[in-house]
Amino acid sequence: MPVNPKGEAVAPAPTTAGAPGSKAKRSTRKLRASALVAATAAAVLALTACGGGGGSDAKSADGKVELRFAWWGGDKRAQVTQAAIAAFEAENPNIKIKPEYGDWSGYWDKLATQVAANDAPDIIQMDEKYITEYSTRGALLDLSKYDVDTSKLDEAALDAGKGEKGLTGIAAGINAATILANPAVFQAAGVALPDDKTWTWEDFERISAEVTAKSPKGTYGAAAYGTDEASLGVWLRQNGKSLYTEDGKLGFEPSDIAEWWSFLKELSEKKAVPSASEVVEAEAAPLDQSGLATGKNGLAFWWSNQLPALEKAAGGELQILRFPSKTGKAADAKLWYKASQFWSASSRTKHPEETAKFINFLTNNVKAGEALLADRGVYPNSEVREAIAPKLAKADVKVVDFIDQIKSELGDAPAAPPKGAGAIQEIVKRYTSEVLFNRLSTEEAGKKAVDEMKSAIS
Amino acid sequence: MSAIGELSTMTRRKGPMTKEEKKANGRDNKAAYVFLLPWLLGLAVITVGPMLMSLYLSFTDYNLLQPPEWVGLDNFVRMFGDARLHNSLRVTFTYVLVGVPLQLAVALVIALVLDKGLRGLPFYRSIFYLPSLLGGSVAVAILWKQIFGTTGLVNQVLAMVGIEGPGWISDPNTALGSIILLHVWTFGSPMIIFLAGLRQIPVMYYEAAKVDGATTLQQFWRITLPMLSPIIFFNLVLQIIGSFQSFTQAFIVSGGNGGPSDSTMFFTLYLYQKGFGQFDMGYASAMAWLLLVIIGVFTAINFIASKYWVFYDD
Repeated sequence: MPVNPKGEAVAPAPTTAGAPGSKAKRSTRKLRASALVAATAAAVLALTACGGGGGSDAKSADGKVELRFAWWGGDKRAQVTQAAIAAFEAENPNIKIKPEYGDWSGYWDKLATQVAANDAPDIIQMDEKYITEYSTRGALLDLSKYDVDTSKLDEAALDAGKGEKGLTGIAAGINAATILANPAVFQAAGVALPDDKTWTWEDFERISAEVTAKSPKGTYGAAAYGTDEASLGVWLRQNGKSLYTEDGKLGFEPSDIAEWWSFLKELSEKKAVPSASEVVEAEAAPLDQSGLATGKNGLAFWWSNQLPALEKAAGGELQILRFPSKTGKAADAKLWYKASQFWSASSRTKHPEETAKFINFLTNNVKAGEALLADRGVYPNSEVREAIAPKLAKADVKVVDFIDQIKSELGDAPAAPPKGAGAIQEIVKRYTSEVLFNRLSTEEAGKKAVDEMKSAIS
Repeated sequence: MSAIGELSTMTRRKGPMTKEEKKANGRDNKAAYVFLLPWLLGLAVITVGPMLMSLYLSFTDYNLLQPPEWVGLDNFVRMFGDARLHNSLRVTFTYVLVGVPLQLAVALVIALVLDKGLRGLPFYRSIFYLPSLLGGSVAVAILWKQIFGTTGLVNQVLAMVGIEGPGWISDPNTALGSIILLHVWTFGSPMIIFLAGLRQIPVMYYEAAKVDGATTLQQFWRITLPMLSPIIFFNLVLQIIGSFQSFTQAFIVSGGNGGPSDSTMFFTLYLYQKGFGQFDMGYASAMAWLLLVIIGVFTAINFIASKYWVFYDD
């Protein structure tokens, strides 16, 4: 905001230009006096500052404990999470959970600030990209030291939350990188949906281009990839590389990512995916205004757990597809189970027992499962998963079935994202647009991007 | 004739004060400071305190989660090799050096038109001022995004005459331009100040000029501009300082990432990303101090240059 509102207050002053002399006299001794005031102010500041800092100690007179619970996500998630909170509060009348939720992008800025200000929420929904960052820096509680039952959790899901600082996150759900299809778009174009067990990247290109050609202007066969690193991860795995190595380094070379961009450029030239400008605009759109939800894209890259929310936004059915592979064999798609999110706790929480109790409830209590269903992915607790199966909506069932179906085809679990991995998405996104706008060649972009990524995670 | 004119006379003392005068002055001052106390406290707690803190942080490696570590001048040295920082400076300078003069020119032209004694002046004044109130707001930035989007209003209008417009805010070649346009659109604030300034110019100068046969254009160049120069200077200083610190528009229009391809990566936006996105608060603090120095230098240049073109009629 460039305009200083004070400007207007000063400007009308010229009317009193008659007596500048009298004002001129008042300018002396300002310094000494102001020094005095400054000293007083500093003293007051010092006094008040001692009392400040730290989060609110929320134990009120009646013995109630208030915990703050932060997550990112849309309306649907807010609804189901509130329902889970209500179920917990009914069982634990002495604990009150105060929700704080918002968008993905704002979430991390806010969380960083809150943690820095020693005002972190007690319960934090974490992502794998950030968990190492926060846990190695001591911001997260080691939940293994508290009463959280992990015996019913799938081993892979449990391991994902373990790090050098102990168990700092418990998987809230399992999901997988997928391609979602909007059958309505395919139908309108008169193109058959691909068979995801046999399709290759060439098929992906051909089919998407065909849908674009047979659709009205502004509708494309597929959304562009390149706006985050998940699809890059799949691509790399199919080429025998990985995003990260076990020792926290980058798992690929500039030429690998350059190849990925070359294919994207090819897709763009064949109009299989939207124009560069449209890709940039789509990045900023929230889930319910995404190309897939608004019927502008036939195919798009999403996590499996996002299907129900997207179906709701699209107002019609969507279909989950495996990623294409190089060979046309589903097992070569190299998908993996990802912990969709983690339940973490702030290491500075004043009520670790109560916080752990809530996380335990979310993880193991059927009532929590009945509220949350599959919004955060498939429940990692096998007992809860079975118990809630009859309650799942049609969209949720699709997600659960898909996760089951690909079990036998999965590749090795990828290495956990290292510290600094939160910056990778932004780098990928930026160089994708450099490439799409032809401002850099794919080789140059690859080299620069890898340099930046290396310094981000070093 | 203006606040700035007064500023320059204030520093010049005319002869020593008598004892009586000093005493009265002291009393006056004390009362003034008592009244100023709430503001001064605010200044200390909200402005000076954090500034000193950020000065300290600029010499540290601080990741927000762990205590800062002293690294001396490291952050400042790193700036030399940071290509994205250099780009953000380029973007910000373009924004300031193009946007500010353009905005002031528009403001002046509109002020001149309104000063011609239009009927319903208060109404028009309010209408033109409105964007200033809204321009920095999130809502308008979002609106801007809609208007200049690939399928936005601008392109819809262009399509009617058969032109296929680019995605103004999503194309790296035009994105900064559309944000500058948003800035120019918020000309209301300087316009109001110009209007007040125009009202101060004695009518007799124009009458005399008319008698001597001066054209309207001559009157503008010889009377209006020189008489208005302190106000222009005032607006220039304010706008330059403000524009260097612009953040909201770029943040909202680019979806917070300064894109596409860093083409709207303002200095402040990059600072924000470094501090809160990449946990590099020490570096971000150092950037803030670099910005302060840049603004200081620009303001100093402004004041020095003003001696050659600003005319004080006192």
